[in-house]
Amino acid sequence: MAVVIDRRPLWIIILTKGFRPLFFIILTILFWYMMTSTPPQGLTKEGLRAMAIFSVTLLLWVSHALPLAITSIFAMIAVPLAGVLDTREAYSLFGNEAVFFILGAFILAAAVMHSGLSSRIAFRILERFGRTPGRLLLTIFLLAAFLSFFMSEHAVAAMLFPIALEIAKALDLKPARSNYGKLLFLSLAWGCIIGGVATFLGGARVPLASGILKELTGEGIDFLGYTIAVIPTVAVMLFVGFYTLKRIFPIDVESTEEATMVLSRKNRNMGKMGYGEYITGLTLLITVLMWIWMGKRLGLANIALGSVVVLFLFRVVRWKDVEEYVNWGIILMYGGAITLGTALERSGAVEWMVKSSLGHMTIGAWSLIALLSLLSLLLTEGMSNAAVIAVLMPLAVGLAKEFQVDLKAVTYAIAVPAGLAFSLPMATPANAIVVSSGYLKVKDMIKAGVLVSLSAWVVFNFMARVYWPFIGIGAG
Amino acid sequence: MAKGLLVEDDYMLNPGYLKLELMLKGVRVDRSLFEKGLIREGLPREGILGNLDLILPEETWVNVSFQEERARSSPYLLLERAGRVYITNGKRDVEVRLVPRPAFYDKRTSTGIPLYNIGVVHGNYIAISPVKRCEFFKYQVECKYCSQEDEDGRDLSLYSIDEVLETVEAAYEEGKAHIVYITMGFVSSPDGGIGILRPYIEAIKKNFSILISLEALPPKRNEWIDEAYACGIDSVIYNLEVFDPELFKRFCPGRAELIGRDRYLEALEYAASVFPKGTVASHLIVGLEPRESTLKGIDYLTDIGVVPILPIFKPIRGSQLEGMEPPSTDEVAPIYAYLYRTLKRKRISMRWVKDMSIVTTPIEGRFFTEDRKKGSPFVTISNPRLRAKAAWGLATIRRRLRVRQRGDE
Repeated sequence: MAVVIDRRPLWIIILTKGFRPLFFIILTILFWYMMTSTPPQGLTKEGLRAMAIFSVTLLLWVSHALPLAITSIFAMIAVPLAGVLDTREAYSLFGNEAVFFILGAFILAAAVMHSGLSSRIAFRILERFGRTPGRLLLTIFLLAAFLSFFMSEHAVAAMLFPIALEIAKALDLKPARSNYGKLLFLSLAWGCIIGGVATFLGGARVPLASGILKELTGEGIDFLGYTIAVIPTVAVMLFVGFYTLKRIFPIDVESTEEATMVLSRKNRNMGKMGYGEYITGLTLLITVLMWIWMGKRLGLANIALGSVVVLFLFRVVRWKDVEEYVNWGIILMYGGAITLGTALERSGAVEWMVKSSLGHMTIGAWSLIALLSLLSLLLTEGMSNAAVIAVLMPLAVGLAKEFQVDLKAVTYAIAVPAGLAFSLPMATPANAIVVSSGYLKVKDMIKAGVLVSLSAWVVFNFMARVYWPFIGIGAG
Repeated sequence: MAKGLLVEDDYMLNPGYLKLELMLKGVRVDRSLFEKGLIREGLPREGILGNLDLILPEETWVNVSFQEERARSSPYLLLERAGRVYITNGKRDVEVRLVPRPAFYDKRTSTGIPLYNIGVVHGNYIAISPVKRCEFFKYQVECKYCSQEDEDGRDLSLYSIDEVLETVEAAYEEGKAHIVYITMGFVSSPDGGIGILRPYIEAIKKNFSILISLEALPPKRNEWIDEAYACGIDSVIYNLEVFDPELFKRFCPGRAELIGRDRYLEALEYAASVFPKGTVASHLIVGLEPRESTLKGIDYLTDIGVVPILPIFKPIRGSQLEGMEPPSTDEVAPIYAYLYRTLKRKRISMRWVKDMSIVTTPIEGRFFTEDRKKGSPFVTISNPRLRAKAAWGLATIRRRLRVRQRGDE
């Protein structure tokens, strides 16, 4: 059924609905006021206008009053119309390499899912290793993490969700009451979340952060370098996450025999591995190897899009299939975010914000990383991951320049925690998907999520402080 | 005898009593009314569809049988004097108005079907059954008082959307209908027939600013009640008919076996939380169960926000209860009084169920109470078309506010 009837008292509905036009009226007044005010000392007129656009965009991203992509389109058109950047330059930023890398990664993930390769891997691994309740959970957790190394964590969550539902039904778990039900779905979500920060492919956050960094400073982040910097944090968090889950929700089933039977049946139904799966798997493997070894030389986006062309040459995927899986809204959003970040930087707004807020203070490199990572971790629970990056990256780059901190370090300090949203369903699609199962309640997610979020911040900062200097990422 | 005479005088002076009397006993029609063309022979259909609609004093609408057997022995005579129409019992005359036969009854659809076959006007609404189907007959569990010809559950007739639209348009343009009253019998699908009716409802809503009532059987799940509201239905009537559980099983075996009394009550309660106050109703037939049981039913239904509508049991020729005696006016009048007082006390709106000619409406229950002299409590816009538009506008705004698509969440 497609409709829901809001049965609250009418006056509450009217108030709720009335809030939206009121919000837009206030936003318009705020925008107009900022656009027409005299800039404070040290800030250019273009800088003030860039800040006005930034403020409105930030409020729209946080409030979700408009879809994220539409907010980005607003930013993209407002920047040239306000005279912050000229039209040609503003739109050319949409052609950033990061945007095309994300597009390529989406299409590759679409091919993997469409070919059935990802489902086959999931069924094989779960059937092979998930023979006891504890091992089945661990397998789901690690499988979700592993797949999220190579595909968007959202796609992995969506792919594994029906499998987890079938397992829950086969085991006759009671929705919202069974601990094992909660463990099953939280393992799935958290596996995706933790695994999703391990590489450029787990989400579009890192490519976006890299894209903004490149636009603002000319420096980039390479595929392998990022993964080397982050993988110890991921490994520790996988351990911490799984241990925390089992401690908070002790396993309350004794056997998973019925689930194994379901998985065996599914596995049998998959039949033999087909031509499309072989080609897709091989292409993905070669692509990842090229990203690792030739990423700097050939360019990440070129490799991604080159692989897409190969997939179409072998006819393992059709454009119609791709359209079903590619989130064009995210592509638009990223284009707008990069444009906005660049507008803030070039107009001098970032420099002014940094100087007028923290300019008179002395902040150590590690304190700055701790502060930025905490901010990113907190914001990501209420905002889209990408919006957190779009909002914080220009500011972080400004602060890094001011306090002479390694640009890569501050980029990681924002990009990694922005992906670690454990506590709320609205924080990331993986959480929303598992809550929709009915097997866990929001309070279950919050109870476990707050603890793991805190652990994630500690682990990330510990690794930054202890491990990063060994790989050449330092304080400046 | 003197007391009896007095009571009869009261009947004539009180539109509530007179309505009950006329509904139960029918009316004889003086030949002069036919000769002067004030009344034409009824529609070639039996039952309420071939009756007369009259307006008694205080704008009290009544649908009166004049062709059926029982009308021939009625103590009431409809006659005309000097251009005015009266009802007389031989001792006292009461002036009434004849509701003119709608002109659209003489028209046909572009496919050749007489419009009165598709829609019949009663009071301020036009009753339409686009699909005449009741699968109770298929399972041989039809209600005992029903005489529908549908004996094997097949569609007796299925009018196309265009045919229904042509009928509604004709009635609407003539100003004869401010509400479309769609009825449907039992269908075994989980949606209670909404799937079949939705195209009709959407087409009517798209083309006319008019309210729609649905009289049907409750769907299996509440989500379908949401769908019904969302697709444009403004009022629902799920007729329980009999409140006493045992008598419910006896008189309505299909409703009891295939839907269940509990599901009826659950669906009514849920519908009352979805639809505007006073727009969810349920029939309890007066005369099929003891008075106390009907009163309990009134209490229960009003507690969950449902307006009980109390049609009087009248044996229908061909039904299994053909030989059962209907209740008398004196028996039913106190029940209407109780209904009126209960709705008033519980502040449940009686606005929706008014100006109906085939039943005594809850607001007409005031005729049997201390509020008899107060007149209609409704303050309304005097222009009926403007009033209907305003009601439609408010209903539309409410629907826009309340209905959300799942993706919007």
